[in-house]
Amino acid sequence: MERIFSKDLVFSKAFLPALILVTVALSMVVIMYGVDTIIPKAHDTFHDVRHVLGMPCH
Amino acid sequence: MQSQSIDLRKTIFLGSLTGIVWGWLAMAVNTVTGAFTFENGLLHNLVTFAIGGAVFGIVASGFLSLMQRWLPFKSNLTKAVYIAVSLWIILFIGGYGLATAKPDRFVFEYHQGIQGLALALVLGTMLGYFWKRFDEAKSS
Repeated sequence: MERIFSKDLVFSKAFLPALILVTVALSMVVIMYGVDTIIPKAHDTFHDVRHVLGMPCH
Repeated sequence: MQSQSIDLRKTIFLGSLTGIVWGWLAMAVNTVTGAFTFENGLLHNLVTFAIGGAVFGIVASGFLSLMQRWLPFKSNLTKAVYIAVSLWIILFIGGYGLATAKPDRFVFEYHQGIQGLALALVLGTMLGYFWKRFDEAKSS
């Protein structure tokens, strides 16, 4: 029982940081490529950021 | 199997702090170099560069937390520079692929690319420096 509980605790401890990092990494991709289908108006909102950081844009 | 845990607070705090400062620094650098003429207003850019910088900073900081044990460098500064530049290169390769696939939609500008690579180097240096200062403050 203790063993199962400790495994769950380790999983939740590892899962939360992983989930946060994956979400932020996905946001980075959306911002850098201006993917409007995932976040509406992402392209126009972060247009200048993309150019200044040297990512290909129109 | 060895588990790898990360200090989430440190990762997010240092990543977002570094990223916001770096985002605003990127604005200033671009104003000086003139590689791209801003299309949005100052207030809009202050917000978007802070968000964009924070996101980039958190991802770089997250990878630094996760991979610092395996990277073949002693200094955290070198590790941070390696990660930030690698992240930029990976994103750039993706963008370059998009530009090749859809040349009417994605266009690559050489000067902006060089500026972006240099800024990634600056982000890594800043992140490594803040990381080092944070560890020193914690241990003292």
